[in-house]
Amino acid sequence: MTSLSESILSKTSKGQGGQAALVLEDGTSFIGRSCGASGTRFGEICFNTSLEGYLEVLTDPSYAGQIITMTYPQIGNYGVNLDDVQRSKPALRGLVVRDICESPSNWRSSVSLPQFLKDNDIVCIEGIDTRYLVRHIRDNGAMRAVLSTEDTDTDSLLEKVRASESIVGQNLVESVSCTEAHPYNTLPESHAFAMAENKAATHKVVAYDCGAKDSILQNLIRSGMEVEVVPYNTPAEEVLAKNPDGVFLSNGPGDPDAVEATYSQVEKLLGRVPIFGICLGHQMISKAAGAEIEKLKFGHRGGNHPVMNLLTDRVEITAQNHGFGLKFESLGKLIPELSGGCTDHVDDLRFWSEKKIAPVVDNEKFGRIQLTHVNLNDGTPEGIALLDIPAFCVQYHPEASPGPTDSHYLFTAFSRLMDGREDYLDIDISTDRLSGWKF
Amino acid sequence: MPKREDIKTILVIGSGPIVIGQACEFDYSGTQACKVLKDDGYKVVLVNSNPATIMTDPSLADRTYVEPITPEFVKKVIQIERPDALLPTLGGQTGLNTAVELAKSGVLDEFGVEMIGCDLAAIERGEDRKLFNECMAELGIETARSGYAYSVADAEAIVADIGYPVVLRPSFTLGGSGGGIAHDHDELVAIVSQGIELSPAGEVLVEESIEGWKEFEMEVMRDKAGNGIIICSIENLDPMGVHTGDSITVAPAQTLSDIEYQRMRVASLAVLEKIGVETGGSNVQFAVNPENGRMIIIEMNPRVSRSSALASKATGFPIAKAAAKLAVGYTLDEIVNDITKATPACFEPTIDYCVVKVPRFAFEKFQGTDDTLTTRMKAVGEVMAIGRTFEEALSKAMRSLENSRFGLGADGKAQSGISLEDMTDMVARPTPERIYYAAEALRAGMSTDEVARITKIDPFFVVKINDIVQIQIALNGIALADIDHDTMLIAKQYGLSDAQIAYLVGSDELAVREYRKSLGVIPAFKTVDTCAAEFNSSTAYHYKTYDAKASELAPKSRKRAMILGAGPNRIGQGIEFDYCCVHASYALADIGYETIMVNCNPETVSTDYDTSDKLFFEPLTYEDVMDIIDVEDPDGVIVTLGGQTPLKLARPLEAAGVHIMGTSPESIDLAEDRDRFAELLDRLQITYPAAGMANTFEEACQVAERIGFPLLVRPSYVLGGRGMAIVYDSVQLEKYMGQAAKISPDHPVYLDRFLEGAIELDLDALSDGDDVYVGGILEHIEMAGIHSGDSACCIPPFALSDSMQARLRSIARELALKLGVCGLLNIQFAIKDSIIYVIEANPRASRTVPFVSKATGVPLAKLAARIMAGEKLASFSLPSDDRRLDYFCVKEAVMPWGRFPGADVVLGPEMKSTGEVMGIARNFPAAYLKTQIAIDYEIPSTGDVFISVNDRDKRNLVSIARDISRLGFNILATSGTARTLESAGIPCTSVGKIYEGSHDVVDKIANGEIVFMINTPMGSATRDDGYELRAAAVRHGITYVTTLAAAQALVAGMEVASMGGGLDVIALQDLPQWEEEVA
Repeated sequence: MTSLSESILSKTSKGQGGQAALVLEDGTSFIGRSCGASGTRFGEICFNTSLEGYLEVLTDPSYAGQIITMTYPQIGNYGVNLDDVQRSKPALRGLVVRDICESPSNWRSSVSLPQFLKDNDIVCIEGIDTRYLVRHIRDNGAMRAVLSTEDTDTDSLLEKVRASESIVGQNLVESVSCTEAHPYNTLPESHAFAMAENKAATHKVVAYDCGAKDSILQNLIRSGMEVEVVPYNTPAEEVLAKNPDGVFLSNGPGDPDAVEATYSQVEKLLGRVPIFGICLGHQMISKAAGAEIEKLKFGHRGGNHPVMNLLTDRVEITAQNHGFGLKFESLGKLIPELSGGCTDHVDDLRFWSEKKIAPVVDNEKFGRIQLTHVNLNDGTPEGIALLDIPAFCVQYHPEASPGPTDSHYLFTAFSRLMDGREDYLDIDISTDRLSGWKF
Repeated sequence: MPKREDIKTILVIGSGPIVIGQACEFDYSGTQACKVLKDDGYKVVLVNSNPATIMTDPSLADRTYVEPITPEFVKKVIQIERPDALLPTLGGQTGLNTAVELAKSGVLDEFGVEMIGCDLAAIERGEDRKLFNECMAELGIETARSGYAYSVADAEAIVADIGYPVVLRPSFTLGGSGGGIAHDHDELVAIVSQGIELSPAGEVLVEESIEGWKEFEMEVMRDKAGNGIIICSIENLDPMGVHTGDSITVAPAQTLSDIEYQRMRVASLAVLEKIGVETGGSNVQFAVNPENGRMIIIEMNPRVSRSSALASKATGFPIAKAAAKLAVGYTLDEIVNDITKATPACFEPTIDYCVVKVPRFAFEKFQGTDDTLTTRMKAVGEVMAIGRTFEEALSKAMRSLENSRFGLGADGKAQSGISLEDMTDMVARPTPERIYYAAEALRAGMSTDEVARITKIDPFFVVKINDIVQIQIALNGIALADIDHDTMLIAKQYGLSDAQIAYLVGSDELAVREYRKSLGVIPAFKTVDTCAAEFNSSTAYHYKTYDAKASELAPKSRKRAMILGAGPNRIGQGIEFDYCCVHASYALADIGYETIMVNCNPETVSTDYDTSDKLFFEPLTYEDVMDIIDVEDPDGVIVTLGGQTPLKLARPLEAAGVHIMGTSPESIDLAEDRDRFAELLDRLQITYPAAGMANTFEEACQVAERIGFPLLVRPSYVLGGRGMAIVYDSVQLEKYMGQAAKISPDHPVYLDRFLEGAIELDLDALSDGDDVYVGGILEHIEMAGIHSGDSACCIPPFALSDSMQARLRSIARELALKLGVCGLLNIQFAIKDSIIYVIEANPRASRTVPFVSKATGVPLAKLAARIMAGEKLASFSLPSDDRRLDYFCVKEAVMPWGRFPGADVVLGPEMKSTGEVMGIARNFPAAYLKTQIAIDYEIPSTGDVFISVNDRDKRNLVSIARDISRLGFNILATSGTARTLESAGIPCTSVGKIYEGSHDVVDKIANGEIVFMINTPMGSATRDDGYELRAAAVRHGITYVTTLAAAQALVAGMEVASMGGGLDVIALQDLPQWEEEVA
């Protein structure tokens, strides 16, 4: 920045951040302005397409190890309400925006986003062509990146980023999981204006914390569950000793293959207690069933992915945040009589949504497993239900936060599952969606 | 579920003429629907009375009826075409209302027509306030709190519950009189006690005031499987109290946190379900209290709307297209996203840019009316701009308005010397200019908090507007050469135009442009793709931004033609030009060009991403157009089809080395420069009215002396007759010159001899430089003195001899060739005492091109484009231009009087109409009558007719009055008129004049006793009786005419109708059509 341009910009509401640089491992580099904490951070570069809900995104523990680019250019417009955070300590490595708002406006806001970033030691760059960056990631896949306010020499940063550790194979869950079992029983007061009254607790649930978003735990409470949170590596026996009505498997960051400490326990729990898993939790059940997980070229991160529920043929607009996904065919062979006569797996699962068939495979460990949800954008699996034991899971985020709450019914379904209902997934999504709110 | 096979023929109802609140967005949605239904194999029958629309192009539907959109006429169409289904949700309120009437009256049942896309009960639940409120109460969604008071005590009790301020509305008082806002107890007592007295029911509605709250809109779609999606959220910059059509709006919503947004989303989806919208698009509006987030639903529209058109353009998601597909049975997951071609339409678009819509007003046309913006829409058009930030988008929008501004201030056009006190008032009161005043107030040092406080505009927006202003202030006075790369980039990122920068640094636009490029500050072009780049997109829908690392434009692979659109709709420049641009795009694509459209009007078909190969949603300024030309390198640019907006760029573009297709800028200048044109006419020995030019009143008097009164006076270089007037004496002339100076200080005033009583004609022709083809001659119904855009006209001429027509064609041929026209030429003629005068010649598409094309079956705009691309008229094998047409086609203007109380409702030389309708019949009177029916005038067959005409008209009134009397009407007339009629032996009753203290006539109008009124104005600007009478007629929806010519035509039409003939319906496809052959 020249001194004239700096002096002109200083007349506006913009902050006085110094230079910042973002360098990707393939050599692509950006110079912008710093608008958060100072420092140098390494992580996997990815993007999120949510139009609003930036605070929920950047405090989602699943982003541990990642540098997030927000595709909507102007971020921070309505400030920060601390009740909206998904974890009091953000786990992401850095944030990339086109333009940050220093003077937000919203009745719920207590602090500006730049201030929040500084308070929480998050490095953030603004003033770069984020759409160009997003297209680059789309075409070339997620990759390592470095974000720095200290070193803005792109050659030096490139060297550093190429030497940095990849998140593939890393156990990032360990870094965000709680270390001791504890009850979770608070609901943020500032949500009361919008959220429906919670149901009286009727079920006791143990939640594995692989980096659980607070809003998931809050949704469990609102759906009538008493929640105890346990570390990601809690032995199955310990969980069963608590005599829960159900076990919940949370979302979490990184490579599911690295989280054996969880899925090895899930394998023991399946069939012994009703289980519901979200995101990484879905992958844990899949892993427990012996399935393969693959790394997606660029993950699903945003609030607008259409997912069809194959049991009801209804489409849900879903919030998503994952870079790894289940390979459905690895769960087992199709059972033709339960799969519309089809014998062969297909790569693109939209084959099933078009035929309106929810195919069933024969799993070696747990018997029949049904594909219940399919992503209509790319035909990847989004949810499965175990038919011979009480367990189901989805790859996407019914708690949204941020994003549409169409899939809120899955929390209700968990409750029904614990009640032993066979039709636990057969819920009218509109009625259920509405019941979560008050106006 | 795939499409329905049990229906084959679908009737689509359009929205009729362009009026305020219902404009060409419905042409866009209707065109999309017709296209998609036809593609799906359905036979499409269309009814729309508006000839300027693209949807009424005979190739778009299978059967096109340009007929009045009334239950009676639509029934006639149903009788002939026997459709299986009726799709009513794409034609605005007009289409919906007509469908409802057809359903209620049993016509649909009688002919076995199924209403698709919505049902009657759902429409009623959406529109009936009480039913709607009940539905919302069941959902638990709040509506504004209210109660009825029958005493002051009642009112106090209600207020105790809902708090101050409250809006008070006495029931059943005329025009809501006696109402108001009470902020405290004293005001409450005063207004309620008065209101109870005024109200015939002794009842006052006490409602909580939500004025000043934030306003949001959600565009929602739903399919029959129950899948619901939000296409777009929109936040209004102007708070509650200003109609959303009059508000600056921003997409996506800017100041809602996730929890608030998701709550609104769920509420919107629940509303559609509750109201019973089975399939299609709807718009749901909310108010949010900025203090505590309390959310109130305002209303919902169970149909596509202006906002849905905006949402479609803002996101790239074609709502109307999808709505049409859903109506025939598809579900959202079965429809492919048009833009990505890879993902389904069942998703919620996400965008990575900001969209700002700014309304365009025309208050200057309606002197005397209050320009405060209220809950009743008054905007005549709108622009949309896309930028990577709100600041960039707003700045671009502010220079797209075609109001001679170059952006938000800093262009030397701001009013100076306003006191702080006046400034505060101007900022506080919502008007079209408020946004400019807010910027000036900030510039003058008013704090953002203060501006936010007095405007109730969210501080978020005020701060950003202030940032733009602060950048301008900081640049002010810096020398151009001292601006460095980074500084220039910042200025451009905040949206400043080169012209604004030039003003601030004391340079000129071209110099800034050159210098900017030398600094390497050049824009990039990004893509609207519905998905924020998450997926690859195959659609070339682009916008410009200075957030620039890289552009996303496909390289050139074949010859390219760029078409410059018409910008925002305003009076004098409407949908007709969009029709021409779209047709040119179609025609050039047919002959192998890659077509590039540039426009900034979100309501139009031209800005549909699938109209042209490439769409640039950009302002039509020199800078913005040149930036596109720099990267796209078109082989030619068409500037003559989009009205004045692109035409004024012809010279500068040519000077920049751009190839202008068709008529050269030199020829355009030859026609537009009055001296040069007069010289040409002299040389060709063609008569034109004596004329002169003046800069001062003294000069004007000299001209008047030379050529004599009456004079037609106007400022130079204007469109739509802006500032034009007829003056009969030097007093009027002096007054005019006093006002004219304000209108256009850089240009002199023209004075023409006014040919009183002359017949006016329009002629549209094509020329390829060697050969000329006259598309049509249109005879005006009103005499000279009424702007041609406001005058009804007929093709073929109804009272003009063949030899006279031949002479007009011959003059047109000569002029076209001598002017060097290549493309379209419009000539306005006047004939008085058998002398033909040329009033003006415009070497560009005229307002009447679509009408003439439909009347004759020869698509003039398409042919013009092909001529501009080098084809010759001879190769088209067109029908002879002196052939006899079997049908008479009348075009009539539609006036917006009802929207502008206080303005006089009189036709004159300044254009005031917003739209037009077309009537087709075997004879002229029937065709004219159809236009009157299409405008929504009741055609009376019995009752009292009131007549009051000026002295000039008295002599010619007699024969018309005799016909009226013979048709069985009673005539009431003011004393002077009555004397004329009585002396001619026509029975009539004399009534008193208003200025004599009599209110008989106004009372009779109010009581509905008068069915039809003829009132010709006195020819002066003074407010006479006529003003009040005409205003009363407008208020009560009474058929009235202000010229004798129109009266004569209407009476002839009534006579034809009374004999029961001539009002059959006819499809355009049954008129002779020119068969297009593309080599």
